[in-house]
Amino acid sequence: MRFSNPLPSQVPDDDGASAHATRMLTTLVQLRDTLEQIRLPFEAPDVAEVRLRREQMIAQLDDYVLPRLIQIDAPLLTVVGGSTGSGKSTLVNSLVGERVSEPGVLRPTTRSPVLVHHPDDAEWFDEARILPGLERTRRSTGDPGALQLVASSEVPRGLALVDAPDIDSVEERNRTLATELLAAADLWLFVTSAARYGDQVPWHFLKQAADRSAAVAIVLDRTAPASMAEVSSHLARMLTLRGLKDSPLFTVPEIPLDAQGLLPADAVADIRRWLITLGEDGGARKGVVRQTLDGAVRSAAMRAHEIADACADQTEVATHLRAEVNVAYDRALKEIDEGSADGTLLRGEVLARWQEFVGTGELLRTLESKVSRLRDRIVNAMSGKPQQAERLTVAVESGLQTLLFEHAEAAAERTDAAWRSIAAGRRILEERQVDLSRTSRDFHGRAERMIRDWQGAVLDLVRSEGADKRAAARFLAYGVNGLSVALMVVVFASTGGVTGAEVGIAGGSAVLGQKLLEAVFGDQAVRRLAENARRDLADRVTQLLDQERRRYLVLLDEEEMNPDSAEMLRHLARRIDDLRFVASQGNA
Amino acid sequence: MSSLVSGTRKLLGRPSPLDRQVAGLANAVEAATGRLDEDVVENAAGVVERASARLRLSGDHTVVALAGATGSGKSSTFNAMTGLNLAAVGVRRPTTSYATACTWGESSSSELLEWLGIPPRHQVTRDSMLDTGLAERKLEGLVLLDLPDHDSTEVAHHLEVERLIEKVDLMVWVLDPQKYADAAVHDRYLRPLAPHKRSMMFVLNHVDEVPTDTREGMLHDVRRVLDRDGLAGVPLIATSARTGEGLEDLRAAIATRVAEKATSRTRLMADLVQAAKLMSEHSGTVPPPELGASSKQEMIDALADAAGVPLVVDAVRRSTRYRARQATGFPLTSWISKFRPDPLKRLHLGQGASGRDIMAAARSSIPQADQVQKARVESALRSAADEVTTNLTPPWVRAVRKASTLRFADLYDGLDHALVTTDLGLSSIPRWCRVVRVLQWSMLLVGILGAVWLTVLAGAAWLRLSIAAVPEYFGTALPTLMLGFAIVAGLALALLSRALIAWNSRSRARKADRRLRIAVATVADALVVQPIEVELEAYAQVWQGLSEVRA
Repeated sequence: MRFSNPLPSQVPDDDGASAHATRMLTTLVQLRDTLEQIRLPFEAPDVAEVRLRREQMIAQLDDYVLPRLIQIDAPLLTVVGGSTGSGKSTLVNSLVGERVSEPGVLRPTTRSPVLVHHPDDAEWFDEARILPGLERTRRSTGDPGALQLVASSEVPRGLALVDAPDIDSVEERNRTLATELLAAADLWLFVTSAARYGDQVPWHFLKQAADRSAAVAIVLDRTAPASMAEVSSHLARMLTLRGLKDSPLFTVPEIPLDAQGLLPADAVADIRRWLITLGEDGGARKGVVRQTLDGAVRSAAMRAHEIADACADQTEVATHLRAEVNVAYDRALKEIDEGSADGTLLRGEVLARWQEFVGTGELLRTLESKVSRLRDRIVNAMSGKPQQAERLTVAVESGLQTLLFEHAEAAAERTDAAWRSIAAGRRILEERQVDLSRTSRDFHGRAERMIRDWQGAVLDLVRSEGADKRAAARFLAYGVNGLSVALMVVVFASTGGVTGAEVGIAGGSAVLGQKLLEAVFGDQAVRRLAENARRDLADRVTQLLDQERRRYLVLLDEEEMNPDSAEMLRHLARRIDDLRFVASQGNA
Repeated sequence: MSSLVSGTRKLLGRPSPLDRQVAGLANAVEAATGRLDEDVVENAAGVVERASARLRLSGDHTVVALAGATGSGKSSTFNAMTGLNLAAVGVRRPTTSYATACTWGESSSSELLEWLGIPPRHQVTRDSMLDTGLAERKLEGLVLLDLPDHDSTEVAHHLEVERLIEKVDLMVWVLDPQKYADAAVHDRYLRPLAPHKRSMMFVLNHVDEVPTDTREGMLHDVRRVLDRDGLAGVPLIATSARTGEGLEDLRAAIATRVAEKATSRTRLMADLVQAAKLMSEHSGTVPPPELGASSKQEMIDALADAAGVPLVVDAVRRSTRYRARQATGFPLTSWISKFRPDPLKRLHLGQGASGRDIMAAARSSIPQADQVQKARVESALRSAADEVTTNLTPPWVRAVRKASTLRFADLYDGLDHALVTTDLGLSSIPRWCRVVRVLQWSMLLVGILGAVWLTVLAGAAWLRLSIAAVPEYFGTALPTLMLGFAIVAGLALALLSRALIAWNSRSRARKADRRLRIAVATVADALVVQPIEVELEAYAQVWQGLSEVRA
């Protein structure tokens, strides 16, 4: 429901005032568009209320403020609103003097709103300038999405009456439409009854009217003549207490209706007279319009700040949730990085395979220093039993796998717990019905493939490094497989943080691997190779975990939020206040 | 919560189905506290509390409340029913700001009214002794409440209504032609209370204000609006407090419910079933699962690995070999191996009984579980938790997962402690080793004797002394035989022993492995399995309790 023509079609003749009005209009259109773009996706205290307020603001700007600013001379729109059963339709009919709206005893009654206007004012309402969301019709209809237009010369020129649906019945569409209509009114004719005037819902509406200084007149309808004095004085006191002491209060007693279902003319004479006076006095009419319009603009500016606050809160929530994801996954990355480099992988099966690979464990331990003699053994081992290199590769794979699985699981679980600890995160996870507290289904497959890819890359690394040394007897003797396995072993102990009893074992294995490689490639090259292989592994792990991390982040990204909209709203609100100040100075 | 449960149990002197339902829900609430959503548990706890309180109080009384919007004529109806001008009636809205109670009959209802929170100044008794009317006697046991409104600007009134609506046995909703379709009553009260339709009754008051020809249509419309709330079939009576029309019908309808004396139970049962249903939605309805033996075994294996059991077992094997070889080796060469350390001593294990006591407080020197082993343990714990919670609802899945890693921090200390205090069966070397040792030393003695003899013979020959002839066997001199036998037999014995030792050390290692795994299993049971089982028992309790309510 976008406002179709934001440019003023009729501007006041005074140039300064016109420029001012144009500026105000532009700012309000901007405000409306910014509001439209704002999204409040995250659960936070009172967020539902803010969401509703935002929608109401957009509706009011579309339905009332913008059209009214453009057509400041349009007829005064008087909306007759109130509870179900308080006699709104009967009142409108009696004021017009004919049955234009269908009253009834069954609750709720009126479905589609009826607009009664003077025949000369028809052009103002046929076009969808005000209430653009409602379809115009000239016939009686039950469709709540239509606005029935009735021309009647009983209504003064320059003033229109709308019979709105009720504000408090079980019919939710009635309530929504009534709220919309009241927001679009220049003047509220608020109808209540002796049974109703103590109800909470109408007072909620009246409070809103008081808050944005909309022009309100109250009609105390359907009151037994005997209790009229007591009820009306009580109601007057309640109005005063709630900041509506300037609103006129009319009374209509509960008396038998005539054959047409109308109230006797004298029962509504006061209201009629007041409305006619208002319609005839252009100044007074303009005053009412200006009061309501200015109140609406002021409250829009004020609420824009509230929405901006909520917007900023939302950005904060998103940032917080994002940070939780990153903290958990960064920690997993760091732990995998440490675990894969501090030598702990060189235990258990990997160590056993390594020792089996280079000879027996016993020999290794006793003859560690005698590398030259040992090298011969290794050569034998490598050239003679290639399947042992394979077995070692598999052991490395399963060790790395366990490490990856566990930390990815832990990160998923930590993030899930962190998100669930705040309402917004819990809401997102519950709404999407996703369980992200475990790694994704294909994670195991991807992790295995990643490890094999890395092992392949290490193999390539060794192969390309050895390309020029291909002829060297040693290179041929050890074989690419054997050398790349040795390189992996070196990588796994590259930070050298091996402690305790395994210093002699794991450290020894790494030293052995290092010496072996150095003998083939030279120590500079070995350092570079190890560095490259290690960085490659880290990159691949980062990539792998980023896919896991993205499962969470994507939920946040889906709620694309513009971080500047809060600031934009504040800026526009300030400008509106400035313009209003300038206008009030000009008027004074 | 436990006082709630015990209070409820005390109540069960002679359990009726309702008492069992209350106890069931109380049990469910007890187990669900801290595990399921707080709101749900609190709601159910409130129901348990109310139900047990109401059951303890007079079952002879039926609490009927007149509820409705301001101006619908609750107080007028109340006055018409009681025949007394008790409740304030007026045109000012809202009129009634506190609840008034009227009791029919002699038996005291003061406890009940105290529980309802109606102060004595707002209570009145209609003693049926003074009434001769049959109708009045039929109402004996009725406690009629006039509630404040639920829709006026006075929020305190709404709170009072909400408080009392939860406690009364029968709700009589007073509607009127102007307000019967208000969202205030339908959205906030009637639709959520639809499960209590058997404890509800509707009155359309002020019918005198409706033209007679449209009355039927209006009642029909009221019925339509109520049907939309899910309240089809609930009694609806048209009355006018002013003209007295329909009041007899209302009185009769209430009298029937009072006479049944089942109204309070109907309401409580609906409350309990409703709360149980809500809780079931959160807690799930699958039968309680159990932790499988295979996942338990997997956990124990992972823990044993992380605790270093294979390392220790290997050390046991090597230590047995080491000690036995010391004992059974060829005495002339076996001393060399003493320079190598005992593998178990290196781990600070295997000190025997007294050493173990000292070590119990200390930590072993088994290397800390590394990343990969820890990862394996955590995966094992996770998959055990996952397996057992496959069909459970998210709150329980989270509870079990949390329990599975709850004592993770203590786990490695516990495992280490278990390792240190386990008897590895190494306090002494095998008995046959001692025999072998004696044999080895005696053969060494024989050899030395032979050598000394030979030396003496050689010395005598050099000094050209003639001594007695040396006995000869198999054509060889005895001392030479002795020396040769000692060396050959000693080495042979040592070799034979080695084979025995290899077998023996393996069997000891197996035994140690068994013992260590039992120790690890004990730790796993205490630190992992039990916390999980506590959660599963809690689930079982909730499930059991809720199914008792539903039964």
